[in-house]
Amino acid sequence: MASKLAPATKPIFRAQLTSRPSNGHTAFVPQIRKLVFEYCDKWASSANTRTYLHNHLEELARAHPHIEVVVRQRNLKQPIVRGFYLNDNEKVIPLNGFEVNGIQNKVQLLLDSSGAKIKSLKRRTVESTAESARGIWSGVHDTPFKI
Amino acid sequence: MAHAQKRLAATASRVAHVPLSSIKSFPPKEALAASTSKRPFSPETWSALQPPPPSAFSALAHRIGLASTVDTGDLQQACTHPSVLQLHATHLPNQPPPPANGNLATLGNSLLGLFATEHLSATYPHLPTRVLKAAVSAYVGPYTCANVAREIGAAHLLRWQRTPPTPLKPAVLHSDALSSIPRALTALVYQHRSLPVARTFAQNFFLSREVDLRPMLKFRDPKLNLTETVAKFGRERPVSRLLNETGRFSNSPVFVVGVYSGADKLGEGFGSSLKMAEYRAAEDALHRLYLTRTPPHLVQLPTATFPAVEGGEEGAYAPGDLGTSEVLTGSAGRSSIVLPKRPSFAEEDVDES
Repeated sequence: MASKLAPATKPIFRAQLTSRPSNGHTAFVPQIRKLVFEYCDKWASSANTRTYLHNHLEELARAHPHIEVVVRQRNLKQPIVRGFYLNDNEKVIPLNGFEVNGIQNKVQLLLDSSGAKIKSLKRRTVESTAESARGIWSGVHDTPFKI
Repeated sequence: MAHAQKRLAATASRVAHVPLSSIKSFPPKEALAASTSKRPFSPETWSALQPPPPSAFSALAHRIGLASTVDTGDLQQACTHPSVLQLHATHLPNQPPPPANGNLATLGNSLLGLFATEHLSATYPHLPTRVLKAAVSAYVGPYTCANVAREIGAAHLLRWQRTPPTPLKPAVLHSDALSSIPRALTALVYQHRSLPVARTFAQNFFLSREVDLRPMLKFRDPKLNLTETVAKFGRERPVSRLLNETGRFSNSPVFVVGVYSGADKLGEGFGSSLKMAEYRAAEDALHRLYLTRTPPHLVQLPTATFPAVEGGEEGAYAPGDLGTSEVLTGSAGRSSIVLPKRPSFAEEDVDES
């Protein structure tokens, strides 16, 4: 009898049947899901935070309905804002020493972040799934090699 | 050390999260030693039974752009897997059972399969059937649905219970429960709006994802396949030609080979040996045939005929060209074992007199 040949086409295994996300190509899902403000009722270091919470927090919550905003009283401690992200990361920023607009800037920093770890710009190699604008140089082709 | 931390994080992500802002008193009364209850307190069960706060569902709705389409109750239903009903009946028999997403998930699964299949068969008309099926699974299958649920932030809102496999039903694992959420959301959009809107939802969250189809098109002998495919199209037989080379006899040669049918170049491949480059060139030629893509503005979908408003006008649909069927080579699909012939049903002779 003839020996059994490998199949003409390689089998497609189940683990291969996945896809990669492309957030922003069609719909954009904002990465921050929750903001928690913790302040002390008595200490002076939380005074600016208390002012911010009174005057600006509701406006922030209405402007960003995709974020859950929680305010907690945490006495005898410095004021803090925590951001919770969809990749299960947390960013915590202490708010003592800032004026109200400084607190606004820190909150905006949390809103803009994706929760991903901050990597240095100096030593990263280019990672991209998109083709390069000018092509990749190749010594064995006349024109640049197009993906 | 890193492995242990990863395991801990993975386990923690599967256990239900109960935000402190949503519960009135912590620790719960049942947990205190003074309470007299029949069953010992289990924190996992308690946390699995806590409903997530309504603010979390409202935030989810706004995050995925469904704030005006679905309300918090519908989203709660979409995030409740039927496996939790048994837990609810055991521990909270006096409360009415929460509505679960079983039916919604089934409807959504069918809709997603429909949208993915028509989109892929219209976009890649020459794709072989087994690759089309695999691509549909890649775009809207269980792994993708579970990942979409995690990426929209519904993993924390899921209510489920891990169920071992029984002779009648398969096991329910975390990814099974998660994958029911985006399916249920698609079904909700269909129910509250219309099929075209549900299709847009599927396109935004599923069909825009990145799937590389080239690893799904792999052949044992692409040169053989190419020869037979070219013969089917009535072209000249393929010939490989060396286009460029460098470093022959060194430890890192590079050969660039093109495969030609007459004067037309069908494909190009590189490799560190001539055979490797030829193999890749044949594979490239086959990919260029099977992965021919209709431009997005020319894609015609059959569901475009569904009206946006009930009772409205039907949309136009002009079917695209039928794709070529794949050339089966060797003993494609059949084993080399010869089986005894099955008796065929006797066909009635049609009297043509």
